[in-house]
Amino acid sequence: MSVDRDEVLRIAGLARLHLDDDELERMTGDLNAILGYVDTLGELEDEAVPGEEERTQGRRATRASEETGAVPERLDASKLAPSFEDGFFVVPPPPGLHVDDGGGS
Amino acid sequence: MSPDVLDRIRAAEKGDDGLNAFVSLAETAPAHYADGPLAGMAVAVKDNIATTELPTTCGSKLLEGYVSPFQATAVRRLQEAGAWVVGKTNMDEFGMGSSSENSAFGPVRNPHDVERVTGGSSGGSAAAVAAGYVRMALGSETGGSVRQPAAFCGVVGIKPTYGRVSRYGLVAFASSMDQIGTFGRTVDDAARLLEVIAGHDPLDATSADVGALSVSHAVGRGVSGMVVGVPDEYLPESLDPGIRGLVEGALARLEGEGAVLRRVSLPHARFAIPTYYVLAPAEASSNLSRFDGVRYGRRVDADDIGAMYEETRSAGFGTEVKRRIMLGTYALSAGYYDRYYGRAQRARAYITQDFRAVFDDGVDVLFTPTTPTTAFPLGDRVDDPVQMYLSDVFTVTANLAGIPGMSVPIGTLDGLPVGGQVLAPWWREDQAVAVGAVLEASGGVGA
Repeated sequence: MSVDRDEVLRIAGLARLHLDDDELERMTGDLNAILGYVDTLGELEDEAVPGEEERTQGRRATRASEETGAVPERLDASKLAPSFEDGFFVVPPPPGLHVDDGGGS
Repeated sequence: MSPDVLDRIRAAEKGDDGLNAFVSLAETAPAHYADGPLAGMAVAVKDNIATTELPTTCGSKLLEGYVSPFQATAVRRLQEAGAWVVGKTNMDEFGMGSSSENSAFGPVRNPHDVERVTGGSSGGSAAAVAAGYVRMALGSETGGSVRQPAAFCGVVGIKPTYGRVSRYGLVAFASSMDQIGTFGRTVDDAARLLEVIAGHDPLDATSADVGALSVSHAVGRGVSGMVVGVPDEYLPESLDPGIRGLVEGALARLEGEGAVLRRVSLPHARFAIPTYYVLAPAEASSNLSRFDGVRYGRRVDADDIGAMYEETRSAGFGTEVKRRIMLGTYALSAGYYDRYYGRAQRARAYITQDFRAVFDDGVDVLFTPTTPTTAFPLGDRVDDPVQMYLSDVFTVTANLAGIPGMSVPIGTLDGLPVGGQVLAPWWREDQAVAVGAVLEASGGVGA
């Protein structure tokens, strides 16, 4: 299976990545090389899928629901975030939405 | 531990043969440390493991200068045992790489030959131990990123059973495979560090409640009567004859110490790399979606939020990270999910089943080469992703199945270290330690 430039652009959109023309060309070649190699998975016979035990190595991740009284730690987002005001992460608006600086929307 | 360990590291790293092993260093050694099994020990910590005193960059521009508000459980435990964090080590960005060349802060260089790679992604930690800066270091594995650089740098590296060590504070790459592992100058060093950091952690839902880990006692156990499996698929005809010779020599030493060798087969091993390079990027594409410039890390301003996401991620991530995110996104996308992700999950189950069959049949450990080559020159594989990925051909199966593995030095080839890999059944790190210790004592390149 191979991907063309348009498909690579579509994937980049899903991945929220912007690729310039050089990157797009290189990425198309790289992905095709890797996908060509990965296609060997098609040689696996479609026999019965190994059981639940093999897929989870016999472990279950859920734990009992017990009330511990612990309070989740509140991290100080103002020290971490690029922009933080009055308890909110400040970000640009969605495309096409005009934001009224007076507080309306 | 002498407080001038920091002075020694700074002096060594300033010179022409500096290894670029560290992204950040502590300013001073602590005035006091806890009285515990590692009292006073300086430990290097890979820069994808959260620390509150030093930044956690994951080798990425996107997190340059980022200081975590919380300490990883593994770091807290080593501090409670008396150790201190001497610095955060350089690495392939977000754990994606096998050479430690994919760092935003420059490549790490191999102490045995500074024109060669350390392996990756925990190259800085491996180099720090190999260069004698520290005796012990923390690294992390998703596809061999402790064992492979341990082999390239001539030190011991242990990847524990999945769930043995808490992932709380380990920046996620592929959550079903990630584990913090240990490096040591000796098998005993790596084992003792692992004992300290291992154990159930309620802050990590994938952390197993299997009791405390006791492995350092296995160092003197010997291998008499142990069944050592040698998988055909890991000694292909194409294997470098020099590496084959060292592996066969190591097997002969084990046999001389009373181990019983047995040829075995892991028939789905040939699907390991294609499986890993679908599943790990798929998980990474999800895990790295949190890096969007909103809550932490670098942000590139833009007129709208969609453009902000794109510009932030495009400017912040390096080429290999973008490549893997793209691969993972494609494998999970509508129309391709069954062909790639579905098939890879099935292959993963078969690979796991192969190991179970062999261990259930009485094999105590498996012994293989850790890597198909010695450390390659810097720049040799950066433009050929498939060749780079094949560096992991012998290591990724352990990550897919969740079993523990260790690389231990077994000799040199043209002056470069070669590692032998010991793979053990789930929760039997002690068996790997017993074998590794015998190889170390009987003629490997040790401390």
